[in-house]
Amino acid sequence: MNATFAIAGATFGEAVRKRILMVILLIALLIILISPAFEPFAAGRGARTLIISFGFGVIQLAGTFIAIIMCTGMIPTEIERRTIYTILSKPVQRYQFVLGKFFGAVGTLGFMYLMMGIVFLIASRMALGSFDPAIIRGLLMFFFQSSLLAAVVLFFSTFVSPLVNYFLSGGVFLMGNLLSSFLETIQRNPEVTPLTRIPVQLLTVILPNFANFNVQNPIINPEQVLTDETAYLVQTLAYAVVYIALLLVASMLIFNQREM
Amino acid sequence: MSDIAIKTVNLTKRYSGLWSKQPVDAVKNLNLEVHRGEIFGFLGPNGAGKTTTIKVLLGIIYPTEGEAYVLGQPAGDPKNHYKISYLPENPYFYDYMTGREILTFYAKLFGIGEPERSKRVNELLDRVGLSRAADQPLRTYSKGMQQRIGLAQCLINDPELLILDEPTAGLDPIAHIDIRDMILDLRNQGKTLFISSHQLSDVERVCDRVAILNRGVMVQLGRIEELLAGGHVEVIADKVPDNAVEPIRQLGGKVSLHDGRLIVEQPDNGSVDRVIDIVRAAGGHIISVKPYRRTLEDLFVETIQGGKTA
Repeated sequence: MNATFAIAGATFGEAVRKRILMVILLIALLIILISPAFEPFAAGRGARTLIISFGFGVIQLAGTFIAIIMCTGMIPTEIERRTIYTILSKPVQRYQFVLGKFFGAVGTLGFMYLMMGIVFLIASRMALGSFDPAIIRGLLMFFFQSSLLAAVVLFFSTFVSPLVNYFLSGGVFLMGNLLSSFLETIQRNPEVTPLTRIPVQLLTVILPNFANFNVQNPIINPEQVLTDETAYLVQTLAYAVVYIALLLVASMLIFNQREM
Repeated sequence: MSDIAIKTVNLTKRYSGLWSKQPVDAVKNLNLEVHRGEIFGFLGPNGAGKTTTIKVLLGIIYPTEGEAYVLGQPAGDPKNHYKISYLPENPYFYDYMTGREILTFYAKLFGIGEPERSKRVNELLDRVGLSRAADQPLRTYSKGMQQRIGLAQCLINDPELLILDEPTAGLDPIAHIDIRDMILDLRNQGKTLFISSHQLSDVERVCDRVAILNRGVMVQLGRIEELLAGGHVEVIADKVPDNAVEPIRQLGGKVSLHDGRLIVEQPDNGSVDRVIDIVRAAGGHIISVKPYRRTLEDLFVETIQGGKTA
C-alpha cells in the first residue's frame, strides 16, 4: 500500500496546486461567504431557506466542476507527460496506480469540501445565529456525490480522451440526477409503453443515481420529513461506496489491459 | 546467474487501428541479447521501434508475438522491477516537488523506509551534483538538472539494469559531458545500461555494442569497433604527372582529380606510404594526408539511407 499512498499523495499535491481548481474553490468560498447578503431577495421564503439552498447549490456545483476537471486528465496527462512510465517501471502494479489516483482525487475533494464546509458553517452561523447540524449531513452527502462522480470520470479516463470524458461524465452526471424522477413520472403515466419504460428503467439501474444525494429539499423545507434520516444516510453512502468499488474494479481491469 | 540481461526472441509488436486496413509492425522478429555489465546502444531513426521495444521490456505494452526476457524473467514481471530502472525521453516529474521530495516519492514506490530512504536520497543528490538545489521546486530546474534528477530517480533502487531513452537529448555541452561521465561511471560499477539515443557521438564513445533498427527490423548488430572498421586515409597531391596516376590507381584506392589536384582515398595505412612514395618519385607535391575514421554516424546513414534490411 506504500506505493498507492505515495501516488495518492503526489496526486493530491498536484491537484491542490492547479490554478483552475483553486479559482473554482475561491469563487465558491466567496459566494458562500456573501450569501447572507442575498437575504432581501428571499421573497418571503426566509433567510434559512435562502442561505442553505444557496450554499448547498454553490457547493454542489463547485464539487461537480472540481471532480470533472481534476479527474478527466488524471491518467491521459500522466501518459502524455511520460510520468507514468517512470512509475510503472517501478514495482507498482497498475491497480495501485488507479487506486492511488482515486484516493488522491478523493483527498483533494475532501480538502475542498472541508474549506467550503467551514466557510458555509461560519456564514450560516453569522446569518442564522446558530449551527445547523443538517448542514454537516448535507456536506457529507455532496462529498460522496462528488467522490462517486470522480470515480465515474476516472473510469472513463482509462480509455477515452479528456475532451470526450468531459461530455461523457457530464452526461452521466446529468442523467444520474434526472433519470429517477423521470422514471417515477413515466411509471405514473399509464399511456407510456413498455418500449419506452424498460430502457429508462435499465438506464436508471445501470447509471449511478446522483439524485439520491441531493438532500437540500428536506433540509431547506423541514415539512418534508424523511421517515428514517439515519437509515437514508447510511443507505445512500453505502450505495456510493459499492458503486465506487465497482467502478474502480472496472477501471483497474480496463487499465490493466491498456497499452500506453 | 545468467550472463544475459535482456533477451528477445522473434519479438513482434503489431498495431492495427480501429479504422486502418493494414496492420503495422512497429517491431518485427527482433532477436536481441544484451549481456550483463555492458553498455548497449539501441539506435534507429524516429519510428524505428526503439521505444516500442523498451515499452515491451518494461511490461508497459505487450508483445503480439515472440518473447522478451529481462534479467532472466519474462518482461513486465513486477518482481523484476526492483532490479531495473527506466528514464524516458523528456520525462515530466511532478514539478511542484523539490528534488528531495521527488526522490523520496520514488523511494516510497520501492517501499524503502526511513532512515534508509533519507540516506539514499541524500547520497543520490550528492552523486548527481544537486545537493545545493535539493530543496528547490523542480520547476526551477534547468533541463540539465531535470535530467540529473531523472538519472537519480533511476538509481534510487540501486538497479542492475538501467534503460535510458535519449539521456543526453537537449542538454548543453557541460551537462552532456556530466551525464555521459555518469553513464560510464555506472558501467564501471557493473551495471548494465541499455541506451536508446540519437546522439551518435555519445553512443560511439560509451557503448560496447550497438543494434540499429529500421522500420521495426534490426539491420545492424555488433561491437562498435567491428562495425566501424574500414576507415580510409585521404592523400591530396599537386603537380602529379599523368604517368604516376595509373600505379597509384593499382594500389586499390579511390582516385580522383579535382582542380588539377589528385585526391586518393586509401583503405589502409600501408598503401598510403606507397602512394606518397610514388607521388614524390614522380616529382609531385604532397599537400595533405588526412586519416578518416568511419564514424557511427557514417554507419547509421549508410545503413538507413541504403535501406538495409535484415
